[in-house]
Amino acid sequence: MGDWYRDFANSGLGSTLVRQLGLPRPAVLRRYEPGAPLLPGPAVVGTAGEGRLHGVLTRVLQDAGVPVLPAVDGDGERLAAVLLDATGGTSPADLAAAHAFLAPALRRLGPSGRVLVLGDPPSAAGSPTQAAARQALEGLVRSVAKELRDGATANLLLVPAGAEAAVPGPVRFFLSGRSAYVDGQVVPLTAADVPAGEHEQRPLAGEVAVVTGAARGIGAAIARALSRDGAHVVAVDVPAAGDKLAEVANEIGGTAFQLDITAPDAGQRLVAHLRERHGGVDVVVHNAGITRDKLLVNMDAARWSSVMAVNLQAQLDTTQALLDADGLLGSGARVICVSSQSGIAGNRGQTNYAASKAGVIGMVRAWAPAFAERGATINAVAPGFIVTEMTASMPLGTREIGSRVNSLQQGGLPVDVAETIAWLSQPSAAGVNGQVVRVCGQSFLGA
Amino acid sequence: MAPLTRKAAIVGGNRIPFARSNSAYAQASNQDMLTATLDGLVARFGLQGERVGEVVAGAVLKHSRDFNLTREAVLGSRLSAATPAYDVQQACGTGLEAVVLVANKIALGQLKSGIAGGVDTTSDAPLAIHDEMRRVLIALGSARTLRQRLEALAGVRPGMFVPETPRNAEPRTGLSMGDHQAITTKQWGISREEQDELAVRSHQNLAAAYDRGFFDDLVTPYLGLTRDENLRPDTSVEKLAKLAPVFGKDDPDATMTAANSTPLSDGASAVLLASDEWAASRGLPVLAHFVDAQTAAVDYTHGGEGLLMAPAYAVPVLLARNGLTLQDVDYYEIHEAFASTVLATLKAWEDPAFCKERLGLDAPLGAIDRSKLNVNGSSLAAGHPFAATGGRIVASLAKQLHEAGPGTRGLISICAAGGQGVVAILES
Amino acid sequence: MARTELGSAPSMPVLFARAAVTARGRGGDLPDTRLARTGVRVAAVDLAAYDRVCGFPLADPLPAPYPHVLTFPLQVALMSDRAFPLALPGLVHVRNRIEVLRPVGADEALDLEVWAERFARHRSGATVDLCASVAAGGAEVWRSRSTYLARGATAPEGAPESDLAVSVGDLERPVATWRVPDDAGRRYARVSGDVNPIHLSGLTAKAFGFKRAIAHGMWVKARALAALSGRLPDATAVDVVFRRPLFLPSTVTLATAPVDGGWDLAVRNAASGVEHLVGTVRPLP
Repeated sequence: MGDWYRDFANSGLGSTLVRQLGLPRPAVLRRYEPGAPLLPGPAVVGTAGEGRLHGVLTRVLQDAGVPVLPAVDGDGERLAAVLLDATGGTSPADLAAAHAFLAPALRRLGPSGRVLVLGDPPSAAGSPTQAAARQALEGLVRSVAKELRDGATANLLLVPAGAEAAVPGPVRFFLSGRSAYVDGQVVPLTAADVPAGEHEQRPLAGEVAVVTGAARGIGAAIARALSRDGAHVVAVDVPAAGDKLAEVANEIGGTAFQLDITAPDAGQRLVAHLRERHGGVDVVVHNAGITRDKLLVNMDAARWSSVMAVNLQAQLDTTQALLDADGLLGSGARVICVSSQSGIAGNRGQTNYAASKAGVIGMVRAWAPAFAERGATINAVAPGFIVTEMTASMPLGTREIGSRVNSLQQGGLPVDVAETIAWLSQPSAAGVNGQVVRVCGQSFLGA
Repeated sequence: MAPLTRKAAIVGGNRIPFARSNSAYAQASNQDMLTATLDGLVARFGLQGERVGEVVAGAVLKHSRDFNLTREAVLGSRLSAATPAYDVQQACGTGLEAVVLVANKIALGQLKSGIAGGVDTTSDAPLAIHDEMRRVLIALGSARTLRQRLEALAGVRPGMFVPETPRNAEPRTGLSMGDHQAITTKQWGISREEQDELAVRSHQNLAAAYDRGFFDDLVTPYLGLTRDENLRPDTSVEKLAKLAPVFGKDDPDATMTAANSTPLSDGASAVLLASDEWAASRGLPVLAHFVDAQTAAVDYTHGGEGLLMAPAYAVPVLLARNGLTLQDVDYYEIHEAFASTVLATLKAWEDPAFCKERLGLDAPLGAIDRSKLNVNGSSLAAGHPFAATGGRIVASLAKQLHEAGPGTRGLISICAAGGQGVVAILES
Repeated sequence: MARTELGSAPSMPVLFARAAVTARGRGGDLPDTRLARTGVRVAAVDLAAYDRVCGFPLADPLPAPYPHVLTFPLQVALMSDRAFPLALPGLVHVRNRIEVLRPVGADEALDLEVWAERFARHRSGATVDLCASVAAGGAEVWRSRSTYLARGATAPEGAPESDLAVSVGDLERPVATWRVPDDAGRRYARVSGDVNPIHLSGLTAKAFGFKRAIAHGMWVKARALAALSGRLPDATAVDVVFRRPLFLPSTVTLATAPVDGGWDLAVRNAASGVEHLVGTVRPLP
């Protein structure tokens, strides 16, 4: 199931050949390894505006042992990351400073480099001019992401005033290998209480995490990532997948809980199980999902309703059951719902699936305020083309096109989705709530 | 004085779906199935790397290589390799007897936790070489000179190359279990209709239990099987009435068919038992407690009693010791070796003459409320991999008692080859 | 009375061959001869092989019918002698009574003595009893009486009537079914030394007028007693009559009923119900 083309394009002969032919050359992405440094080289931090986050950024880098350079010019050591604090800009003219800083820095950006821009949320702008300046950053970052090569990514964090404490967690995520396949994204933060003293390698230590659809593919990868980060994982899947589920649970030292999440009493059973065995739950990942593809005109009612039941209604019902269960969902709880690129862009033959996945986004946004009140968060992750057993069975042409039409010119891996979810599960991700984070390598679809 | 013993808690169980012989598990060995079953239990209760006090299990049909079957399964499982294990065998009573052994050690404080189980395959059954060939090979092995070896080999005859297959027959009588039961069936006048009705109810109850998710935390799929292969939810008395008898065929009025007798099956089961403290310290549930158990045996060779009637003798002893009547039980689990085994046992308990003459009781035990019998199906529907049946019943009954609420009492009755019976009481 | 003591067990194939070639022209009275062996010990390997073939547990004391294996060769020697009035080929074993006076240890030195007596009249010929007595430490511990029928033979003037009556009670309930394989005769021949051709193969049996090989009566009796292992009185008399030949292979049933501290028993063909053996087991005082 490996990416043969990527491997070929990175081989000795292959790399010469694809360069000569002008073919895309997908990079081998830097992915997270526990214990590896946050960045493999130095970072440069610049400002375009008042730079109120410059200090926070520098501290995050220094705490992680990353050498921080002042602005760079001309040739020199390759950079692992370029950070731009563009907060406090008041007019589009301020963006010239961004250009002046980024242009020389990007020339020196190394493979799987990171460009991270922090700006103010346009929605909170005091004037059309200010809003224009803030919104302009989005176009800048999304375009930079498309210009970058060699597995480098560019993303934008929108930090409202007062949300400074929420910055370090997301910054670390976007610099690290965890965000390998997250590219061209804009993530707004909100002010939130961020607990101190998060363990760097085991941020979820002592927590209980539920992952639905955990028997295989992306769900299994999520369970592995959460377990690696310290959580006790309650792996959930339909009884018919129980043997695969048990394998996953045993591999990660978690527990298997066979449950059909569409059963009328599924929510109560999950609540009862969590209460009896663990007393509560800290992280809930609604990953279970099915596809029953057909063009709408040919789609029978069963295909429609089964997809809606598993992908959307079950997420609604179980989340409600968890919210209703007194004291079960602790403050600081994290609910992460798996949506899909199809839910954003739509997809031929997937009206049911896309509807359910778009519904998830609506649900997450609507529930965010209620979660915020409890000190909890609810977010969605929307995977793009992820290489799984399911995509392996697609026709070669469809698969190749699907995996190349993104800025990183390759499909993502289940672990990429899992890492994003693991990040959103962390206490330090408290400032991300009601958001949809796409894990799509900046897919051209629905962008 | 404080009691010297405590009652063992039944935390939960796991089994693989039972397969029909030579079907889904045709390639699986006893060790394969028992290991998979243990791993499912480990996953359900988070026992990875855990040193459980003891694992006790067995198989009725065993290869000679499986002399240490349970320990080998433990070593292949996710349990700590420092978990001790031993094998037991009491024919179809193996699984329940394993539970009794673990529960008793927990009751005595010798164990804090333990796993009891059983496994059987009629597909990967042991074939023995012809007995005389075996003796030739043993002689060959101990021969020291070429002459001795040649002498040993000279004893080989063509017929010795035919292997000996295990037969489902009592060694002392040469009768199959079904033919034995046919005698009992006739003796107690159990009708074909009664047997077929019981079989249909078993299938309906098992199917309903699956449909309401009862087995979601009791069964883990294996080799593509997600439900018991023998289960026929849509069967009916009318359909079963068409089948020809397969046991006691010499009798023109034979009543025992393939549908009201359990099929040969493959499968495995395991039950996690513990002290209350051990379970509580791990946040594990206590479904029920193991109260007491009793075994009995009857002289079916020359004594005139039916091969599978021993539980009828064991139950009154168990009830009396616990100050209970047969009607003090909320759920009855009577293993359906044959539909007529269950019916003959119930009839015997209602029969004043039997209860007085055979059981030495002043009054019969009386009838039971049939709606409390095998409420989640039993062996006729699920199948009966001999040693795996005890674990299936204990885990299912414990869950049923748990769902019914505290103070609910269940009785298990399992008949076994050799004229034996193992019975037990659980209470939530 | 002449008593001849043999130093070792006679060779059975030789005896059967001698009996066959000297079958013609026999007649007269029973010889007043006794054959004996002293200090005979049972080889553990022989006992184990016998136990295996008959279904006895390998144990000490000896199975009730085992001493017959020791005394039978002497009886054959007696019958194959020219002085014996009846031809051995064609003799049919019709009744056997064994009395175990006390359990016989497998390691005891045994003194054997055999003789013939009671030439008797039978409606289809004549019968003769071959008797055996086994002593240990100077006291008799085991004895047997095997009645053989010689069809068409004539008993001497004044001979008594044959006694083949063994009465048993109701034996409706079979307690066991055995599949008797076609090599049952060869297997018992190997452990008993009884190489009478009628037991060994279909071909050799046909030569003597049987459609197929037939099981040894003493094997059938031993097999039935083995089924009652552990339930036999210490001092016991086992008396059986052999009714119809048990052709090999066959499936037969055993029926037993407890009677007077012992048992009544019957071995019948499972399909036809034809009786092969009926008998009694009774405790001796």
